Amino acid sequence: MDSMVRNPDVKQRDAAQAVVVAVSSDAIFDPEVEQVHGATEPLRKGDAFSFMKAIQVVNERLLTMNSDETLLFDVILLSNDSEEKHSRIIASAKHYGLDIGRFCFCNKEDSIESLQSNKVKLFLSTDTKDVCKALQKGVPAALLFRQTDPHHQTEDQLKVVFSGDVIGSSEEMLHGLREQGFTETQLQGFKTAKGSVKEFAVLMGEMRRRFGLEGSPLCTGLMTVWSSRDVCASALKTLRGWGLLVDEAFCMAGAPRSPILNLVQPHILCLDGLYHMEGFTAMS
Amino acid sequence: MMSVNNGGMQTGQDTAPNGTARASWERTNTLSNPPTKHLKSPKPQNAITIAVSSRVLFNMDKEQQIYEQKGVEDYLKYQIEHETEPFGPGPAFPFVKALEAVNTRLRELYPESEELFDVVLMTNNHAHVGLRLINTINHHRLFIERFCMTGGNSPIGYLKAYHTNLYLSADPMKVREALEEGIAAATMFNPPEKRTEVSETQLRVAFDGDAVLFSDESERIFKAHGLDKFFEHEKAHENTLLDHGPLKGFLESLGKLQKRFYAKGQRMDCPIRTYLVTARSAASSGTRALKTLRSWGLDTDEALFLAGAPKGPMLEKIRPHIFFDDQMFHVEGAAELGTVAAHVPYGVAQKRPQKKPAEENAKDSSAAAK
Repeated sequence: MDSMVRNPDVKQRDAAQAVVVAVSSDAIFDPEVEQVHGATEPLRKGDAFSFMKAIQVVNERLLTMNSDETLLFDVILLSNDSEEKHSRIIASAKHYGLDIGRFCFCNKEDSIESLQSNKVKLFLSTDTKDVCKALQKGVPAALLFRQTDPHHQTEDQLKVVFSGDVIGSSEEMLHGLREQGFTETQLQGFKTAKGSVKEFAVLMGEMRRRFGLEGSPLCTGLMTVWSSRDVCASALKTLRGWGLLVDEAFCMAGAPRSPILNLVQPHILCLDGLYHMEGFTAMS
Repeated sequence: MMSVNNGGMQTGQDTAPNGTARASWERTNTLSNPPTKHLKSPKPQNAITIAVSSRVLFNMDKEQQIYEQKGVEDYLKYQIEHETEPFGPGPAFPFVKALEAVNTRLRELYPESEELFDVVLMTNNHAHVGLRLINTINHHRLFIERFCMTGGNSPIGYLKAYHTNLYLSADPMKVREALEEGIAAATMFNPPEKRTEVSETQLRVAFDGDAVLFSDESERIFKAHGLDKFFEHEKAHENTLLDHGPLKGFLESLGKLQKRFYAKGQRMDCPIRTYLVTARSAASSGTRALKTLRSWGLDTDEALFLAGAPKGPMLEKIRPHIFFDDQMFHVEGAAELGTVAAHVPYGVAQKRPQKKPAEENAKDSSAAAK
C-alpha cells in the first residue's frame, strides 16, 4: 500500500514516455542528522543532491531544444518515513526547488511493489543492499554514488557509468562462474540485472543522442572491473548494439577502482552482480 | 574450490580480491579468447606503471589530421568506420614491445612476482575509438589490459590513481602538467623516417643528465655564464650532490629490476641496459654527475661524456628504444640520426615565458654549443 502525492510545483511528465526514476528520500535528504519532530526547517541536503541538480540541467536542456520533449527524467521520491515527516519532506523539496514529480510514501516491505506498480525505469539508492534486493526482484536499480569531494561535485552534468563485466561476458563465461562457487541464484541474478540494465541503457542512449559530442549535460561511461580488455570491448559493442555509445571507458583489469571512480565522480553507477560481489559497501 | 560470499569478502575498498578467485576468472576468459596469451595484470602499487597515450603508442597521423581539420564528429565517425583496421606502430611502440620482453624474462625467473612493467593506455580520446584501439592492441599482440579513455577530459588525475612511474604523450601540455604533479613524463614525436633498428630482447634506455636525471641547477650556470664557466663551476662543486631531476625515479625503477636479474646470475645477459648521455665532460664536470648517481645508489651501465659534442652519432651506436633529453635541439638531433627521442620539458632550457625574457632569446645559439 502506498500513498502517492503529486508535487503541485512541478509540471507532471508523461510517465509512459519519461525516464521514471525513483530516488530514496534518505539519499535526497540527510537521514542521519537529528531531525526534530514537527520542526519546520527544511531537511538537510543528502548525498543525492548534486544528482538532483544535474538531472534538472538535463531536463532543462532537453526542453530548451524541444519544448514538447517527453523523454525527460521524471523523479519519484520514495519514502519509508513515518507520517509525521511526510509534510516536511514535501516542504523541503519545495524549498530547494527540486524537480520531483511525485512523492511515494510506503512501508519498507512494500517498496519493491511500489516500484513495480509505478513502472519505475530505475530505482536509485545509496544503499547497496537495497539496490541488490531490487535487482534480484527484477526492478532496475543502480547505486547513487557517494561523491566524496563535496567541493567538486558536478551539478551541471549528469554522469552515468555502467559496470561492464557481466554485460561484456559471454554466456559461456558466465557459466564458467559456477566453478568459482557462484550459486544458480546468483547467476540468475546476473542475468536479471543484465536485462534491467539493458532497458535503462537504451533510454540513456536515446537521451544521449539528443545532444552533441561536446558540451552534453549527460555523460555516459563504461567500467569493467575484473575482466580483460576483450570483455570490455565486448561490453562496448553490446552497449552500442543497445543504442548507447559511451563517452568514457575504463578497463581496470583488477586494479583498484575507487581511485578512478573518485575522479570520474559518477552520479549513477549501474552495477552488475560481479561488481557487487567484492564487498562493494566499502565504496561508500 | 573457491567459495564466493556476498558479504565479508573485502575489507578495504582498494584491496583486489583473493588472487585465486581472480586467476580462475581470468582462466575462464582465456577459454573464450584463445589467441591472446592471458596473464594476470600486477597491482599498480607493485608494478612499474608506464602510461602511454594513444598517439604515441600507435600512428594516428591521418586521424589526427581529420580531427584538426574537420572536428570531433567527423573524426569519431572515421574512427568507427575504420574500426577493424589496426593502427600502425607509433614512436613508443618499440619501447613498449621491449618492456614486454623484459616482463617475459622476469616471469620466467620470478613467476609469482608482481614486480613487472604494467603498460596502461591513458588517453583523452573518446570511448568511440575504444574498439579500434582494442582491436589494434590485439592485432599487434600487445599485453595492455588497462586503459582509461576519458572522453575529452584531461587524463592527468588518473595518472596518480594508477601510481604512474612514467607518462608518455604526444601532447606537451599534458606532459608539463604531469611533471608539475611530480610524475616523470616526456613528449614523443613522430618517429624518425630512417629509424635505427633496436633490439627485441634487450630494453635500452638512454638519459640526458642535467634537467632529466639531475635538476637544472647546473644548466642555469651554463645559460647565465657559458660553457667554460659551467665546467669550472662543476669542477669546483664536484663533491656537492646535484639535486634530483624528473626522471631519477624511473632510472631507479629500472635499476631495481636489473638487480632482480643479477640476483639470478644474469648480469651479462640482463635484458635492461641504461645509458647516461651527457654534454658534460669526463675531465671536469662528469665527476659531479657520477658522484651524485653513486650517492643515490644508482648507476647506468654506460656513461658517455660528450663534452659538448652532438649526441646523435653516439645514440646511433647505442640504439636505445628511447632517449630522454630536456632540450629539443638534442631530441631533434637524435631523431635525425634515427633514434626515438622524448622531450622532458623541465627546467631552464624550456621556451616557456620565463621571468627574464632577454636571457631566453640568447639561449638558442649557446644551446647549440652544449
